[in-house]
Amino acid sequence: MKTTKTLRIAAAAALMTTTLLTHSAYAEDDTIKIGVLHSLSGTMAISETTLKDTMLMLIEQQNAKGGVLGKKLEAVVVDPASDWPLFAEKARELMTVQNVDVMFGCWTSVSRKSVLPVIEELNGLLFYPVQYEGEESSKNVFYTGAAPNQQAIPATDYFLEELGVEKFALLGTDYVYPRTTNKILEQYLKDKGIAAEDIFVNYTPFGHSDWSKIVADVVALGADGKKVGVISTINGDANIGFYKELAAAGISADDIPVVAFSVGEEELSGLDTTNLVGHLAAWNYFQSAESPANAEFIEQWKAFAGEERVTNDPMEAHYVGFNMWVNAVEAAGTTDVDAVRTAMYGQKFPNLTGSEAEMLPNHHLTKPVLIGEIQSDGQFDIVSQTEPVPGDAWTDFLPESKVLEADWKELGCGMYNTETKTCVQLGSNY
Amino acid sequence: MLRTVYLILALSLLLVPARAQDSDLNALIETHRSDIEKPSRRTIGPVLDELVASGLPGVAVFLEHWREKKLWQRKSDGRFFFIEERDDGSIGLVDVDSGAEMGAAAKDGITNLKPNSGVRSMIASALVQFQLSDPDPQRRAQALTALERDPDASHLGVLRAAIDNETDPGLRARKERLQRSLTIQFGSDPATRVAAIESFAGDAGVDARAAINPLLATRVEVFDVIPDDLNIARVLEPGDDIAAEAAYQLLVEAGKARPIVALDARKQALIANLDDGAVGGVPVAELDTQAARDRAYQALAGAGAVPPLVTEAEQRAALEGHVFAEVYLEPDATLTAAARATLSDISSTVGFYRFIDLVLDGLSLASIYFLAAIGLAITFGVMGVINMAHGEFIMIGAYTGYVVQQVIPDYTTSILVALPLAFAVAFMAGVALERLVIRHLAHRPLETLLATFGISIALQQIAKNIFGTQARPLTAPSWLDGAWVINDVVSISHIRIAIFVLALIFLGLLLFILNRTRLGLEVRAVTQNPRMASSMGINPDRINMLTFGLGSGIAGIAGVAIGLFAKVTSELGSGYIVQSFMTVVVGGVGNIWGTLAGAGMIGSLQKLIEFFNPSNTLAAQTYMIIFIIIFIQFRPKGIIALKGRAAGD
Amino acid sequence: MRKPLLLREPSVMIFISLLAAFTLIVTVLSEGFGLGLVSTSMIKILGKTLCLCLIAIAMDLVWGYCGILSLGHFAFFGLGGYMIGMWLMYERTKDIVLGSLAGGALPATPQEIEDAIGTQIFGVVGGSEIPAIWYFADSLAAQLALVVLVPGLLALVFGWLAFRSRVTGVYLSILTQAMTLALSLYLFQNDSGLRGNNGLSGLQNLPGLTDVPQSIVSVWFFLASALALGAGYLIAAYVVSGKFGNVIRAIRDDEARIRFMGYPVEAYKLVVFTLTAVIAAIAGALYYPQAGIVNPAEIAPIASIYLAVWVAIGGRGRLYGAVIGAALVSLLSSWFTGGQAPSIPLGIYTIDWVDWWQVLLGLGFVLVTLYAPNGIGGLVDRLVRKDAS
Repeated sequence: MKTTKTLRIAAAAALMTTTLLTHSAYAEDDTIKIGVLHSLSGTMAISETTLKDTMLMLIEQQNAKGGVLGKKLEAVVVDPASDWPLFAEKARELMTVQNVDVMFGCWTSVSRKSVLPVIEELNGLLFYPVQYEGEESSKNVFYTGAAPNQQAIPATDYFLEELGVEKFALLGTDYVYPRTTNKILEQYLKDKGIAAEDIFVNYTPFGHSDWSKIVADVVALGADGKKVGVISTINGDANIGFYKELAAAGISADDIPVVAFSVGEEELSGLDTTNLVGHLAAWNYFQSAESPANAEFIEQWKAFAGEERVTNDPMEAHYVGFNMWVNAVEAAGTTDVDAVRTAMYGQKFPNLTGSEAEMLPNHHLTKPVLIGEIQSDGQFDIVSQTEPVPGDAWTDFLPESKVLEADWKELGCGMYNTETKTCVQLGSNY
Repeated sequence: MLRTVYLILALSLLLVPARAQDSDLNALIETHRSDIEKPSRRTIGPVLDELVASGLPGVAVFLEHWREKKLWQRKSDGRFFFIEERDDGSIGLVDVDSGAEMGAAAKDGITNLKPNSGVRSMIASALVQFQLSDPDPQRRAQALTALERDPDASHLGVLRAAIDNETDPGLRARKERLQRSLTIQFGSDPATRVAAIESFAGDAGVDARAAINPLLATRVEVFDVIPDDLNIARVLEPGDDIAAEAAYQLLVEAGKARPIVALDARKQALIANLDDGAVGGVPVAELDTQAARDRAYQALAGAGAVPPLVTEAEQRAALEGHVFAEVYLEPDATLTAAARATLSDISSTVGFYRFIDLVLDGLSLASIYFLAAIGLAITFGVMGVINMAHGEFIMIGAYTGYVVQQVIPDYTTSILVALPLAFAVAFMAGVALERLVIRHLAHRPLETLLATFGISIALQQIAKNIFGTQARPLTAPSWLDGAWVINDVVSISHIRIAIFVLALIFLGLLLFILNRTRLGLEVRAVTQNPRMASSMGINPDRINMLTFGLGSGIAGIAGVAIGLFAKVTSELGSGYIVQSFMTVVVGGVGNIWGTLAGAGMIGSLQKLIEFFNPSNTLAAQTYMIIFIIIFIQFRPKGIIALKGRAAGD
Repeated sequence: MRKPLLLREPSVMIFISLLAAFTLIVTVLSEGFGLGLVSTSMIKILGKTLCLCLIAIAMDLVWGYCGILSLGHFAFFGLGGYMIGMWLMYERTKDIVLGSLAGGALPATPQEIEDAIGTQIFGVVGGSEIPAIWYFADSLAAQLALVVLVPGLLALVFGWLAFRSRVTGVYLSILTQAMTLALSLYLFQNDSGLRGNNGLSGLQNLPGLTDVPQSIVSVWFFLASALALGAGYLIAAYVVSGKFGNVIRAIRDDEARIRFMGYPVEAYKLVVFTLTAVIAAIAGALYYPQAGIVNPAEIAPIASIYLAVWVAIGGRGRLYGAVIGAALVSLLSSWFTGGQAPSIPLGIYTIDWVDWWQVLLGLGFVLVTLYAPNGIGGLVDRLVRKDAS
């Protein structure tokens, strides 16, 4: 009696195991697989689902044009659920089980850092579309978002020169991007002659909603007669409470301007912006940019995702990154990672704001820096636009990274010390 | 130099004969076309000065249009216009000077000039002298605002002249106040400046401090002996008032001491003096400790190859031989003394107001916690079950508010409709949850906790699937915009006041229901002893259902309130759930006053900790929770504990 | 003379042999050691699942047997991960740093090495100093001891405070949840010295063993996890089988009565609470090197509630129930969110499992609580009993 029961349970368990183990592992040869690694649930879904849709649209369009190398593209969408370890797990699964040729994904820096060891180990390829803190150049990642010198530094210059701000409040969500960006900005401001006591730094948790105290603190900064400006690296939906409190406190952009690095059209679509008119955002793309390519992109996007949807900067980054990858694959004649990587350097593709993006040997793009003032319709008035700025992986404003340089084409190193003329290390820090 | 300028001017006049008939203003702005096209705060100053100095009649109108982004430029020739929308939809060009019609333009033939806010504020500042005595009070107010933001010395005279004929008492007060603060900054007579400074004693306004503080700016200097003719703020003692390293650095910069050779420079010097696998007689392989490196460096210094190290004794002697002092940039001691006295007076006032503000903030947070937790407290008290889906009822309320706003566009009406509707929807959801799940888990509180958690994750995801992951707007009516501003320190937004009032209303309402109605009597009976209550003819099932519905309904209303000041997402409720639990546990179960006390304590405590640790909100929350854990050690049943049978577990 | 545990409790025997068979089969099929039919990523998922089963056993012990619904055991799990993560991260970075400093003109001083390590580890979060809590990070033995000591002490102190003041039932659940929230908020801060939100990452790379491919390392960890699970199961089975087990079950069923009988209820609870915290910590120390990154979000209160859900679905008061629940739910969840589950088109609406899995899980859980309070384990029991009769 006992043994039959044991056997039965064992058989059931074995059956379960085998179904679990063998359900995967098939690959079709007539398609090129593209992994889409964006959170579709959890806290980051708010930002990342849009990028998944963008990728699906771009892949659909490319297939309509006949695919790549005569093969159809196939999107493999997974959901890492805003769970950072899950990013690593899903990335490994995409590369080894699904055998994707390239991945587009991640939003937060910590998710990228989670994926890094896996793609470096397996020699994969990731396109990362979000503005980030720099201090990194992995052989296996192309950074299509802005490095600090393409967003934070120009925005700070704008504050200093165009708005005459003398005292800075650096408000951020407590995680890597704001921490590193603020560290760079603090040093930059000190170099520009701003005293340490004129820089106020505050970090709040993700999803923070009680902003009255912090807004009051910022107002109180004006007590020594200097013009105050806020540089906000506040992430995600915490922005909504922050801007509502600002508006309630009656702080106009003329009194205390706020420039945000993580607030775009998508974030503002959840908000009544009449009280925010004039506050600023710095990006490499705004939906309001006037160019034929942009008009076409917006039209396609609305047709694909819905009339009320807006476009934003990371979407443009994916647009540029995806098209560059397609061109690089066509140029290399294969989807082999190393061949594509070599073909990527120097790739040029018109971005949506009218200039041309170029992929640099440090895996960053040249991008124009745009500064926009928020309008009452949730769009931005572009008040400043620069020529394309080459992305700098290692910032020049921190002593320890000033001497570092990334060049995968000539030097074959992402962390090259220009003083000692040695490659500090090949792998990335994570 | 001047000749070249004349030559260019003459040439440019020759080259544009077509413009000869242009009015003066058009000609003037034409010469600055590139600056006006792409204005920058750094370059626009002289242009504005010249425009204002020209005294031309159209300048003020031109500047106003420009500031308000109503200036356009024709692409074909770069000429500036105002525009007017004609009835037939076409666009008419209007001359900036004469206001005359200049024909029609195609939409893509003209560009709108959008100066950035830095430039706009400079334009506004240039407009001040035109507007300060304008017959339109709104313009005068605008000018004052511009002046408050960006004053300069030239405005003082204009402002003084504009005070006497000011008729509007509000504006007059503002002008007088501004005049005093400008006097402090730009006045020429020390006595009037001191009087102006002293007039601000006890004034909590940021502008007052902003005017006075710059007078007290200092720099640190080093002297052999302090000279008498300087306005010294205080003498600094190295090591106490100023770090010894920083003080020594000052000496080095003043050329009064030898520079310290930094660690890195010493290392570089060693490398530079590498000689046959050794430095200063020490083999390279041994140089893996700082002590060995110091030895090698000293050997090199002994040989004169590198500058010798600065010893600690030498540093101390150098510091002792000099005096360090903070020196006011303002040379007049009477001014700085007055400023100092006034500021210390102001700071005690500000301290008092800051405390008031802290109390208000604490009250506001407490009322939010109260609203979020009271529903939970009722159900917990009556039924002894923890409803993990409580946060999702809050969310349901918020989304109800959002949906109502989609249907009823008027914000005031929609909020008035949304509040009862949110109550109704959440009430029904609560009743359904009670009947379908909780009733079947009677007397199994831990299972109830987990089952409601299952409901909670399902509801959250359903909300995501319906409304998407984007935050949805829930916009307050305009009369709730803005804040009640007592002064620059104490202010509280209208929404928070409204939430506070809402919390009070519910406090009253619940007290009334529980203490003065039949339902309340029955609820209290069931709370105290369900079995006894049931044998007295009370139907505990019905009471449980109604209480649960009531608690959920209030959560729905709390959802509308929270949505108004924060954001409507599917995770809205889960952000409050743990705080709500704490509120209930700290306050004591099954008691409205307890919940009130709990909310009050948690709210004010959190604000207090934030006050002491302003740059880290996360730490404040951590400390608060640790405090609660410790608090419960001493009062495990909460602040207000039930007595008697109901207190049993 | 009592019969040995394995004979007295047939389920233990069955479980151990099943686990051994499963481990053996997977190893033989693995990429690293055998036929290559099971991918490395699947090995990692299975290895992690075994660790989750282990913490589920701890949860079952404390909740199913002793009646303490702790919503904080994932905090101990995470802490275990942090403790081992500190060593992994420090040593890995040290290797890299030594490699890059070796090229310098002078041999590096200890201070220079430490500065370089600090910059590497904390550079991403805007710092460069190595905080004091990393004092032992250089020593594997010390950090391994801390894996047990830190969560153990936390559980001991917290449990002592809580049980001493007779906090029970839902109060205790909420209090444990508060502890978890406080800990995760604390770790979220950069000032906590554990890299804030970023946490410790790159943990899958073993220091000094960079040449060993992940396909091998993953099997090592898989085997270690299986071993730990087996040992944990035996310990738990031993604990619940004797008199101690009877006392804690009695505490669950009627705490007041057992106190009146003269048993030191608080001491029993404290022992169970601390023991399970240590088991959880060991599970975490094995889990995170496989996951690759540990960060405060892992410790968030919701994770611990999910743990209770697994145990409830699997069946409380049965050790194998906890294992079944944890394995089933976590693997299913991984499958449904992996994008491979087929969507169900319903004409006007397509059910996309990525969107609807959470709903299914939540409602399924409610149904289990309502209609199968003993979970899947209960169903197994019923099956067995029918067979036996």
